[in-house]
Amino acid sequence: MNPRIRIALFTFVGATLVGGAAHALGFALAPGHSTEAPAAQATAQAAAVPAAASGYAGTEACVGCHGDQAEHLEKTPHGRAGFSKLSSLGCESCHGPGNAHAEAPDDVALYPRIEKLSAAKQSATCQGCHSGGKQFFWHNGRHQARGLSCISCHSVHSPKSERAQLKQASATEQCFSCHKDVRAETWKTSHHPIREGKISCADCHNPHGTETPKMITAASVNDQCYSCHTEKRGPFLWEHPAVRESCLNCHSPHGSNHLKLQKTSVPYLCQQCHANTRHPGSLYDATTLGDGARASNRIFNRACLDCHSAIHGSNHPSSPYLGR
Amino acid sequence: MRTHTSVSLPILPLVLLLAPLGPLFAEGGDSGQGPFTFHLDPVAIEWLELDQDTNSSKFEEYRDLDSGLRIPLLVLKGVGANGDRTLDFTAENVWRDDARLGLDYALAGKYGLSLSYDKIPHRFGNDAKFLWNRTASGRFEIDDAVQRANQAALTAQFAANRTLIAFPFLNNLLAPQIASARSIDISLERERTRLDFDLGTLQGLSWDVSLFHEKRTGLRPFGAAFGFSNVNEIVEPIDYATTETTTRGEWAGKSGGVTLGLRSSTFDNGNSSLSWDNPFRAVDSTDPGASSAPGSGSINGSATGRVALAPDNRSTGFFVDGRWRFTSGWWANANASKTRMRQDEALLPYTSNSAINTRGGAPFDASDPANLPIRNADRKADVTNLSANVGGRFGEDFGLTFRFRSYDYQDDSRRVIFPGYVRFDSNWVSTGRITVPPAFKRTDLGTELNWDVTPSTGLALSWNRQTWDRELREVEKSDEDIWKISADSRAIKNVTLRASYETGDRSIDGYHPEAAEDSFTNPGPLVTQPGLRKFDEAARQYDAWRVSADFLFGEAWTFTLATNGRQDDYDQSQFGLISDEVRFVNLELSYVPGAASEVYLFGTRSDRSTFQRGRQSGATVSVNPLDNWQIDFDEVNDAWGLGWNRRYSERWKSEVEGRWSKSDGEAEIFSPPGGTPDLAIGFDNYEDIELLALKAKLDFTLNPRVGFGFWYLYEDYTIDSFIRQGVRNYLPGALLLNANDGDYRASLFAAYVRLSL
Repeated sequence: MNPRIRIALFTFVGATLVGGAAHALGFALAPGHSTEAPAAQATAQAAAVPAAASGYAGTEACVGCHGDQAEHLEKTPHGRAGFSKLSSLGCESCHGPGNAHAEAPDDVALYPRIEKLSAAKQSATCQGCHSGGKQFFWHNGRHQARGLSCISCHSVHSPKSERAQLKQASATEQCFSCHKDVRAETWKTSHHPIREGKISCADCHNPHGTETPKMITAASVNDQCYSCHTEKRGPFLWEHPAVRESCLNCHSPHGSNHLKLQKTSVPYLCQQCHANTRHPGSLYDATTLGDGARASNRIFNRACLDCHSAIHGSNHPSSPYLGR
Repeated sequence: MRTHTSVSLPILPLVLLLAPLGPLFAEGGDSGQGPFTFHLDPVAIEWLELDQDTNSSKFEEYRDLDSGLRIPLLVLKGVGANGDRTLDFTAENVWRDDARLGLDYALAGKYGLSLSYDKIPHRFGNDAKFLWNRTASGRFEIDDAVQRANQAALTAQFAANRTLIAFPFLNNLLAPQIASARSIDISLERERTRLDFDLGTLQGLSWDVSLFHEKRTGLRPFGAAFGFSNVNEIVEPIDYATTETTTRGEWAGKSGGVTLGLRSSTFDNGNSSLSWDNPFRAVDSTDPGASSAPGSGSINGSATGRVALAPDNRSTGFFVDGRWRFTSGWWANANASKTRMRQDEALLPYTSNSAINTRGGAPFDASDPANLPIRNADRKADVTNLSANVGGRFGEDFGLTFRFRSYDYQDDSRRVIFPGYVRFDSNWVSTGRITVPPAFKRTDLGTELNWDVTPSTGLALSWNRQTWDRELREVEKSDEDIWKISADSRAIKNVTLRASYETGDRSIDGYHPEAAEDSFTNPGPLVTQPGLRKFDEAARQYDAWRVSADFLFGEAWTFTLATNGRQDDYDQSQFGLISDEVRFVNLELSYVPGAASEVYLFGTRSDRSTFQRGRQSGATVSVNPLDNWQIDFDEVNDAWGLGWNRRYSERWKSEVEGRWSKSDGEAEIFSPPGGTPDLAIGFDNYEDIELLALKAKLDFTLNPRVGFGFWYLYEDYTIDSFIRQGVRNYLPGALLLNANDGDYRASLFAAYVRLSL
């Protein structure tokens, strides 16, 4: 890359970080700047202005007609008593002032339905409170760019999940409602314990957006894998460069028909890169299988890995070939 | 054998220590006082009865469905007297190897604490035949008398007629020992404890601390070898501990924000090395051909093998995230992180074979660590990651985003020269080798333009250039341009359409096959095919596409049809991976006539074809095209499912689901006649796998406090894998565990009582 472009890009990264930090230190960078969450602002606003004058109808008025919605909400975090400590506006914390709707309940145009807002406004409603943590990089994120909003996946009133108020029973099922090809991968015989519910998509991906490709939560695919497979982090005395650059060169993390989530079964996976003299370049066909006429320990069972057992890297002085 | 172990909570004391700090730290302090009111969600107590026809580990690979008692889910929710404090407890699969516990405490808007404990079993295989006995944590021994007897038999045969030292002789020698070998189950267990502590807000900055600890214990299959003809599959004792801490401060406002934090991760291995006895030798010995022993050429080698296991290591670093909203409504995001990874494990000597010394062909006693050029690994690598994007809307209908990312991995460890090495603990090889610390930098630069053609239809066009800069690899620099166009539309009522097409073109600045010899201090002639291109670096073109349509018919019917595919071509590669293509189709149909009933059907098919080519060589690189071979792999995966959920009345409800999946793989192999190999035979069990799963549930509510029900699960799993075809405990050149992770047919019946207390 041209050094000038690189300097410009690094300057931009730095400027954005400094800009964010400046906000943290209290320097206003945009009109209307506020460090308070909208719900808190709304609380203060409601306290200062009489309900009718501010356009708020009050939760009691909402529940008067929408009792079933309130009953559902009671079982969720937004319906718990503690929510009133964050916002005194109840339903109108999210739906906005509802006095006009309460006075003309049959006027469809006045329905305070979140669904009829644009995706950006739907998300802005939620981000009034949920703008930090995992939602920090929502803006410019992949899901935001494809026109999704918070309510594409979350349901405030009728969640099916124990956590995170999702529309499906789990984070994994929520993701699979769109990513069908990934779901099919997890049904393969070699798989992470996703379908058993022991890990979920959200263990590796942040669907709200990240600065990394595929919305993974670590700085790279390898860093993601190392978070659980720390024994492979090294750095080792003898390294396998293709391993260090990307685990995905050999593994298919969502599922595979081959042992250890391999993209192609050993020994053929290894032979996609190694065509050396002697055994790495040899053909292993049906005659070399366990019950074949020329049975070879280089095809059956662990194949190459029977000897090259430290394939991810080795610390043994006699292991330039990643054996031991 | 597995046991249902009790739950341990190693971080609990720490939680109790930290919990009082929350209210002190949070501005405003703890205003919630008074007793909690608890609500227990309906809880089921369940009895399982399992009937499985084989002892395959596959049925319970990641789960515990053994016969016995369990509580599938228990949820206890507590609320403080004035409503602002919550204390929730969740337990899943209580009394089981796959149990999960969770405890959450929060003071609304002030601080929160979340503690979880999760057990994840991973069963690799049952009933493995194992000749060794574990005499210490990283030591596996065979009875000395057995080793001596085998060595004596080999010595006698070598003297009488060495040509008979081949598979039949060795098989007869080991057969009685294998027959009396003990049987072991191979599995490990992960115990994960996580504590997330939201410390609340101080001076506008919210802080949180997370701690993660994972203990992995058990056994894992491990490849161990004393030579090309003496591969041993043993078990690696797993005693891993991972501890990770993250401290994070965040300020998030409407138009800007910053996050900064520190992250640390350590890995400790309770076993730094693993040693195991050679079944065929009791006394160390060596000769130049010992790495092919036992055979007609040699019966020598080491009495014991020793391997370095994953070393202790640690990773520490910091990260800064920033975001900034411009007055125009555009957003800029950036992230910077720096991480250092280190490991400094003491190195093992070249070998455990005491015969490899000045009399045994080595320049020194190779079993003495004092003769190593370094005593500790002293490895360190730095990762610098920078990324940023800026994007927003312009005009009425357009959006634009620019993205940049740089990931720089630099292994700063010094290159270490070794004068030679010991092959399989069998013999000294006097070829100088030098370590090759990897270094690479990946840079992404791209932009995306979005156009709202109509309020219900959008188009997006994006371009991304991915650049790699590497050191000490075949390709030092590559550029890949990736173009993508996508469209989303809801223009037709009750129909959602999504489509995208992506194409990429990677060019390289040259391919240097001699880089594969960088670990030799004095590289000789090239030993790899010069026409090979390692696919992860090679020039390539790819095309990928995706189309999906969701239809809603009336109030009750929904139908989804989706298809996608990708084809990668490595046109400049003569050997190695040449092409890789996958196509996928999915359809789903559901009918929900009302709240009382739901019927659904789904089906998928994926078809993957991979093509690769090789050329067989002897001691020197073959230039004869007749020595070529090529393989077409084809894998077809089908999965279908059907389900029906029905509520008959306020009391009765049922759920039925069936799922069937099948993988059908084939390897078509070709080699031209006249070369080596001369004739190639493919196989049609390139992992043929079939799984049928049926589940039915019937639930009855007796009264608001009591309900009961039954469920039944049937699974039938078959696998026909070329890699396990004909595998027994001893095969030519390999003594294997041959554990059972294959076919099974299992029926699981469960009865439960559900109580609302």
